[in-house]
Amino acid sequence: MGFETFVQTFANALVLGSIYAMVAVGLALAFGVMQMANFSHGELFMAGAYVVYVLYSLVGLPFLVAVVAAFPIVALIGMLFERVLFRPTRGNVLSGFMATAGAGFIMQVLVGQQWGVGLMRSVVVPYKGSAEILGAAISWQRLVIIPATIIMVGGLWFFLKKVKAGKGLRACAQDPEAAVLQGISLNKMTSLAMLLSGGFAGVSGALMAPIIPVTPYMGHVYGVTAFIVVIVGGMASIEGAVLAAFILGFIHTFISTVYDSVTATMVGVLFMAIVLVVKPTGLLGNVKV
Amino acid sequence: MSKSNSSSFIWLPVVIVIGLFCFAPQVVSAYRLELLTIFLINVILAQSYRLMTTTGDWTLCHYILMGVGAYATGILAKKFGVPFYAAMPLAAVITVGVSLILALPLSRTIGFAFFIASFALGEFIRHVWLKFHTPFGGARGVNGIPKLEIGQQGDWYFIDFWDSTNFYFFTLIFTVLALLVLYRIDRSRVGNAWKSIYADSELCESIGINVTRYRVLIFCVAGFFAGIAGSLLAYQVGSIDPHNFEMVEMVYLIIWVVVGGVKTYWGPLIGVFSMSLVFELARPLQEWRPLLFGLILILFLVFMPGGLETLLPRIKSFFLGLVGKKEVR
Amino acid sequence: MSFFSVKGLSKHFGGLVANNSIDLDVEKGEIRGVIGPNGAGKTTFFNVVSGFYTPTSGTVEFKGKVISGLHSSKIAKLGAVRTFQRAALFPEFTVLENVIIARHLNADTSLLNAIFRHNTKAEAGNLARSKEIIEFLGLKDEQDNLALNLSHGHQRVLGVAMALATEPELLMLDEPVAGMNSSEKAVMVGLIKKIRDTWGITVLLVEHDMKTVMSLCDKITVLDFGEKLAEGLPEEIINNDKVIEAYLGADDIVA
Repeated sequence: MGFETFVQTFANALVLGSIYAMVAVGLALAFGVMQMANFSHGELFMAGAYVVYVLYSLVGLPFLVAVVAAFPIVALIGMLFERVLFRPTRGNVLSGFMATAGAGFIMQVLVGQQWGVGLMRSVVVPYKGSAEILGAAISWQRLVIIPATIIMVGGLWFFLKKVKAGKGLRACAQDPEAAVLQGISLNKMTSLAMLLSGGFAGVSGALMAPIIPVTPYMGHVYGVTAFIVVIVGGMASIEGAVLAAFILGFIHTFISTVYDSVTATMVGVLFMAIVLVVKPTGLLGNVKV
Repeated sequence: MSKSNSSSFIWLPVVIVIGLFCFAPQVVSAYRLELLTIFLINVILAQSYRLMTTTGDWTLCHYILMGVGAYATGILAKKFGVPFYAAMPLAAVITVGVSLILALPLSRTIGFAFFIASFALGEFIRHVWLKFHTPFGGARGVNGIPKLEIGQQGDWYFIDFWDSTNFYFFTLIFTVLALLVLYRIDRSRVGNAWKSIYADSELCESIGINVTRYRVLIFCVAGFFAGIAGSLLAYQVGSIDPHNFEMVEMVYLIIWVVVGGVKTYWGPLIGVFSMSLVFELARPLQEWRPLLFGLILILFLVFMPGGLETLLPRIKSFFLGLVGKKEVR
Repeated sequence: MSFFSVKGLSKHFGGLVANNSIDLDVEKGEIRGVIGPNGAGKTTFFNVVSGFYTPTSGTVEFKGKVISGLHSSKIAKLGAVRTFQRAALFPEFTVLENVIIARHLNADTSLLNAIFRHNTKAEAGNLARSKEIIEFLGLKDEQDNLALNLSHGHQRVLGVAMALATEPELLMLDEPVAGMNSSEKAVMVGLIKKIRDTWGITVLLVEHDMKTVMSLCDKITVLDFGEKLAEGLPEEIINNDKVIEAYLGADDIVA
């Protein structure tokens, strides 16, 4: 691998790690607060990409507006998931997980029926051109993901540490019963967690829409990767999710470049299996799931 | 520990159902008969998956284990010309071997982590099929798997398996045998040990049941039957590729057992039957079918978490409640 | 060589020392009680000797064999079996089925037997022995009831029945009378004595209830702050100044 290729791959890994982080923190947050896992997190990602497709490609709104709009729209879907799927199955993580698998099927069909199945929806790249860094060319469209992630994840961190509602979320994640005794409404907190979880998945999908083919099934790979990231990081740990996201981003990108994407996926999965065997709580987690 | 009074009540319907299946080729088209063959294979798969869940360990790789059996059969039959009476048992043994390897790390985890880890390891195997062209054929899989053969044309014992009726009966025999064996295992001391692990694994350890060993064992037994199902599938469809064993298929398997229920032996049978029926009836709505099944899955999980098998007791207690009687156990 | 012997047993959880170099010897046929005020390390001690925790240092020997570090199921196989403080049972099986399941170590557990049921003789023997144990412990009337429907007292007795079903030489009881009313306590005390007197099974029990321990045990070991404070006959223990001091302020001496 030459130096230019290395820089190129390194930058790509950072971008991919950023996207993984943005997708996975939502999953980790929801798991921490609800003790429930969303199988269709990838479909929320897909929904975000379709928001951009509709608002930017079809309606003609500015790309930035479409990306920002993806947050509330997909957040609403996340809240719907919480109300309809997670609340009735609360306490049974397998039931909730399978119910969201059903919801994923439903979303794929609805999107496919509305905007076509299997067609590659190309979203015109809004930020054209590329940046020259140490001799390697990295497209602006990809590069913009890194600051976006810093803003989003930084914002989440601020929200969880400094804002009252965010502190409530953390209290619920640590000890739901104690949180309820302090007057925190568990239902409100789970709803808020799924709202944020959906919003983050939506924005990530929106940012990726011009880069990868937009199809009803595009979310699957990202959903699966988000799960691997969250398990490696430690199910309920946001910091763990960010760390694992970049580890997986680097594993996937470098192995794809040197070998191929199938090998990259295999190594990623194997890495997760090893982490589970050696430290079943994940890298930074302390709860066994 | 079966109660003798209930078993005589059960055997009559069982005989009737088997009779109906024997009679089916007389009335249905060749196409439908192939669907019925697939249905019988799915019955083995669902019932072995139900066995797996008796320890409380739901997996997401049962479909992959079926794939292992199918790939083993396909490669043995096509590349090495191994006859079915050797290929099928070999495929089952290979599947048990793979199950054993998977079970060793998996048995270190429980509950949701087990569920997810089983998915990850399953995906690993599927990617092995995708990656290695020899012997797995990469994304195109193994094609042109020879039909199984009993005798040559002219032998008095020759059976022509190009005729789908003959393969249907071949599958039927395996299905009935598998169901019988799984029934015996379910009602045996080993079966009860597994159910006990689900109820209280600490207590099991204290009375001398090695929980880890039994969790590995159940994974292998379930894998054996998944391997048999895969082997039959390979002979039935003639070509297999990694896309046959994707996550979506696993979700359908989960829908069967969720709809039927896993607490009793009969739940998964009810589940596969009713869902296969719905699947066929919904054939005209092909593109909408996943949506329908997604809805069914959600409705069952939310409104009837025990599955259809709990329907009869529920109706019973509802009517008993109407006349003001308490149900007596 | 003692029948059951604990040597220098320590158990640490991170920086916390739950048990510190405890020695204890139990003779065959003895009923031994281990007591101590709350937080004295009784439960940890019990979990270590029964194989649920691995000791940080020290050993546990049973019939001259080191059992510390072994799986609980392996220890049960060697003939030392424990019960639980909670009502541990298989709720959706009947009382008789619970005891039969607990005959695991004495049964043919091969898959072939599961499928073909050829070993009917062993199973018939297990059934007979299970009924015998149930009758011995006075659960005969409850035999066909689901375990979840039993009273708390009966559930605890069922726990003992399941332990006995493994044919142990050493029975380790974790707070056998916890949560019982006085008549249930009396029944349990009677049963434990009967088990030792009739079947010669050695008993090691951890208990909070002083009155039960005093009336039941041949010898008593007192733990305090994770260490052995005193050991002796019940009358020696009750007059031991150190023990009285340890329990001072605690309201439950001879409660």
